[in-house]
Amino acid sequence: MFDPIKLEIFKNIFSSLAEEMGVALCRASYSPNIKERRDYSCAIFDTCGDMVAQAAHLPVHMGSMPYSVKSAIKNATMDKGDVVILNDPFEGGTHLPDITMVSPVYVQDGPAFYVANRAHHADIGGMSPGSLPLSRDIFQEGVRIPPLRLVKKGVIQRDLLKVILANVRTPIEREGDLTAQLAANRLGERRFIEVALRYGYHEVVDYMRELQDYAERMTVKAIQEIPDGGYSFEDYLDNDGLGDTPIKMCVNIRINGERAEIDFTGSSPQTEGCMNATFPITQSAVYYVFRCLSPPDTPSNAGCMRPLKVVAPVGSVVNSRFPAAVAGGNVEVSQRIVDILLGALSGAIPHLIPAASSGTMNNVTIGGLDSETNTIFTYYETIAGGSGATPEENGVDGVHCHMTNTMNTPIEALEYANPLRILRYEIRKGSGGSGRYRGGCGIRRDIQLLTDAEVTVISERRKFSPYGLRGGLPGKVGENIVISRGGARRLGSKFAISAKRGDIISIRTPGGGGVGCPDTEKQEQKQDQG
Amino acid sequence: MLRVGIDTGGTFTDFIFYQDGEIHIMKIPSTPKNPAEAVLSGLNQWKGSPDGRQVIHGSTIATNTLLERKGAKTALITTMGFEDVLEIGRQTRSQLYNLFVRKTRPLVPGKLRFGVEERTLHTGETLKKLDVASVQDMVRKLKEEDVESIAICLLFSYANPHNELALLQGLKEMEIPVSVSHRILPEYREYERCSTTVVNAYVYPIVERYISYLETRITDGRLSIMQSNGGYISAKRAKEEPIRTVLSGPAAGVVGAFEIAKASGYSNIITLDMGGTSTDVSLCNAGLGITTESEISGVPVKVPMINIHTVGAGGGSIAHIDEGGSLRVGPQSAGADPGPVCYCRADNLTVTDANLYLGRLVPGYFLGGDRALCLDNAKKAFKKLASSLCISTQKTADGIIDVANATMEGAIRVVSMEKGYDPREFTLVSFGGAGGLHACALARGLSIPRVLIPKNPGLLSAYGMLLADVVKDYSQSVLIRIDELKTEEIDALFKPLIERGMDEMSREKISVGSLLLEKCVDMRYVGQSYEILVPFNEAYVARFNELHETVYGYSDEKRPYEIVNLRVRMVGGVSKPSLKKGRSKGESPASALVGQERVVYRGESIPFDLYLRERLCPGNRLEGPAILVEYSSTLFLPPDFTCDVDLYGNLILSPY
Repeated sequence: MFDPIKLEIFKNIFSSLAEEMGVALCRASYSPNIKERRDYSCAIFDTCGDMVAQAAHLPVHMGSMPYSVKSAIKNATMDKGDVVILNDPFEGGTHLPDITMVSPVYVQDGPAFYVANRAHHADIGGMSPGSLPLSRDIFQEGVRIPPLRLVKKGVIQRDLLKVILANVRTPIEREGDLTAQLAANRLGERRFIEVALRYGYHEVVDYMRELQDYAERMTVKAIQEIPDGGYSFEDYLDNDGLGDTPIKMCVNIRINGERAEIDFTGSSPQTEGCMNATFPITQSAVYYVFRCLSPPDTPSNAGCMRPLKVVAPVGSVVNSRFPAAVAGGNVEVSQRIVDILLGALSGAIPHLIPAASSGTMNNVTIGGLDSETNTIFTYYETIAGGSGATPEENGVDGVHCHMTNTMNTPIEALEYANPLRILRYEIRKGSGGSGRYRGGCGIRRDIQLLTDAEVTVISERRKFSPYGLRGGLPGKVGENIVISRGGARRLGSKFAISAKRGDIISIRTPGGGGVGCPDTEKQEQKQDQG
Repeated sequence: MLRVGIDTGGTFTDFIFYQDGEIHIMKIPSTPKNPAEAVLSGLNQWKGSPDGRQVIHGSTIATNTLLERKGAKTALITTMGFEDVLEIGRQTRSQLYNLFVRKTRPLVPGKLRFGVEERTLHTGETLKKLDVASVQDMVRKLKEEDVESIAICLLFSYANPHNELALLQGLKEMEIPVSVSHRILPEYREYERCSTTVVNAYVYPIVERYISYLETRITDGRLSIMQSNGGYISAKRAKEEPIRTVLSGPAAGVVGAFEIAKASGYSNIITLDMGGTSTDVSLCNAGLGITTESEISGVPVKVPMINIHTVGAGGGSIAHIDEGGSLRVGPQSAGADPGPVCYCRADNLTVTDANLYLGRLVPGYFLGGDRALCLDNAKKAFKKLASSLCISTQKTADGIIDVANATMEGAIRVVSMEKGYDPREFTLVSFGGAGGLHACALARGLSIPRVLIPKNPGLLSAYGMLLADVVKDYSQSVLIRIDELKTEEIDALFKPLIERGMDEMSREKISVGSLLLEKCVDMRYVGQSYEILVPFNEAYVARFNELHETVYGYSDEKRPYEIVNLRVRMVGGVSKPSLKKGRSKGESPASALVGQERVVYRGESIPFDLYLRERLCPGNRLEGPAILVEYSSTLFLPPDFTCDVDLYGNLILSPY
């Protein structure tokens, strides 16, 4: 029997430990990606590599980090002072720019716990700057790092570091970020040992387990709110970046008392392009949805996943196999997984489910040689959209939804560091779906190039709009427009072009769907008057 | 000469009068509808001579205007195409796992945000000059809308204010207050600069009205207003930059704690201000801890403020069991009304009830016995909660305190360990009503070697106002690589800031002789985007590396450096109450001993000596277990602590 007081106290201890690692990583890192946009996560794990706590940074890292840690444990013997680095999507990673570091925490001569962090690097090599290319296989996407020891007994393995840095476009920035990641783990390790000394190893282990059980109970509460039965939904991704065939995504959720089975059978086979999710990403998206339905302060740990069974056919778009290209998996496929899960649940618990949000992260990568300073630059950002209306009120304009929550780069920071000029950054009026409650509006961001550069855009919802619910209209699809001397051209959801100095890339992101018939309210008012 | 510190609180307005070396305290009920009434009525109650009085006031007007969203009808003018920056913010949501999450509504709605055609670049070059004719058109629209206040924030105005100044000129005929971003916060990052400027404009007319009202009624002296940076400024200046007065009360508390602790010989302190609904902590490392990254009520406010971290654990925090069976305390609070169960009006158990149940609060002495506490009610409620937790009532009460302590301990970790400071090198200074009941446990948990409890711990904010200096902060984003400039050249860049400061200080009637000038830079390695604040002198580069090592665990002297912002802090020393040093006359503390109370400690009921704090004298030493009571606060001294009364009347608690 657990002590309800200690449970609460350990909840605080573990989450502040992860939070503290996050602060260290964010502050010490180099790329705007990590510092300004906060595209990283930190977490702590028990002896088996099951998660105990995560600092609430990015949902897409939630369900997938444990796979990285387990893979590190399986593939590398970790001595005291070792740090394992990896980014291989088929060994628990997400996509190559996300680099994970795992460190053991030694207590009583053995690795008792683990701390890990993951950060999105602005470039990891491959066919296009920023490493989010329209690729055909994993080899085009950059350096693939299997679980390897970057630090052995406290000593950085320079050879390995050199290999990595030799294959990326911005090695100095990368080294700075990797150093920051190491520092964050070192801090986590130190704090963990302090906690073990203060409370005793056994008590710490006991309450790690208790907290996982606790999170499981919280998730069960959420599932019990959903009536037993089967709920299905399907939706489409625009294309895989190479062809223009829609990609079918479908789910059948079966609720049975305290358990839920989430079955993706029937979803499209893995694609030839980069729109593929690995299983950990699918798991993250499922986790995200149920975490949203759980009581607000549910800790993020392995217990949350226990009542959920995910069925994702091997070789499908939600469980792709080596050597699939996966660049767009965690940024785009994950968003659509959330959309279909929420769509299915709207049939069961309509009062708790909003209409579809913009459903894309609008990834923009611009890279090349800055002709003025003669240095290579890589710039990556995601642009927010509108959130779906809820059954109670309008959606939010210009906000990141669901699987991401990364900040924008301030215009004054961006122009200082890159040969780019922002001409417009505004809410895209009228893009939210009408309804009794209107969907949130997307954003328009116009970026002018001050030098020739390679531009890659991976976006979605340019063809299939974010759905509305109960008569609410869908949000407006997004638009990608390139304005050059020859005039304006509208490009597809995904493109890679060599753009010229002076060209303007105008990204207009989708709005969210509406909820309820647009004129219901008026009708109701009329009835009241009548 | 009379000096008065006045702190407006939610329940009481506190006064400290200082005249001829003597200090007098007073508390009167606040008048929330017009806080000025309590201020004036308190001042009128002073029986001594009001000659040449100087009043330093910590006003809550700016904060409350912002919290309650009751500011002026404000318009915002931005570079065309960027009117929505204020609303988009950093494009993030405040809660990750909430499908119904909202965004903070911008203080200026879309239809009052206007764009002008103009553009400056990061180099300061003007790409497009402001079209003055277009301003005329806008003036008409602004008049039609009846706006009461205007904020201007153009892109890159920190690098070249030319277009902002031209716009300001064009708006002159409006005759309403205009807040301009390059004046309020000449620093890069457009959203934060814009937000800060908008807050200033939003609270401007309300603060102006309030201060002017006081000014017309405090005619025979000088009125100054406390700022959130720990210093005060003249009323006139506060009206122009009201943003600097937000959260000034808590800031004054930290100033008071720091000055008192410093006089007693401790200048590295962590303050703990535990109130009814929340607890504020702040770290002072030989000086006040300043931050430029504050957020108030969901809105970034980036002017320098004393770095105060707040958590939702206070005396009134409510205990409950959550869905997963964990015992939670707060952040919901019972406040003063209905208050804890022992106030007999509510049935939600609070931290205060737990302290009462365990015998740590003594009913006869709580607020001087003015407030009746019903232990029976609390007992019943504990029985109920304990049975649903399947533990004893005593353990339940202990648990509530432990959980609240864990939250406060977390807050102390945030301001210390997360910033690279070791709490073992600090003194915990506890004030506010409830802090004394928890301070020893917190010190024990974090291995803090000492706790200091000042005299009149309930009036420390008002006291801090009398101990504060005139302080002005200036900043300017420069974004320069230091390998391109010599130290002298960088030093020369401070000149405009210093000139502006000297000018304003002379208007505050501060003589050059009593001026203290601090030059600092916000620095980073080239490519980073967070900065570290470093004093600017010959050794500033080395100091930066040292701080980077402390805060982030590494440094690299070979990397190129960048200075992001220049900062100048001007401190005008003023005459303050000198803290009176008593003498130890070798009296025994026995005269302060008024009885014994049975208190539950570590699961056992043991007798604690009960002392009246006011009867203790400098030099007295007590050993735990003891309870020390005074009007507004109670101190719980566990068996493994000693308590010394120092020569200033502070209590110094040390663990064995």
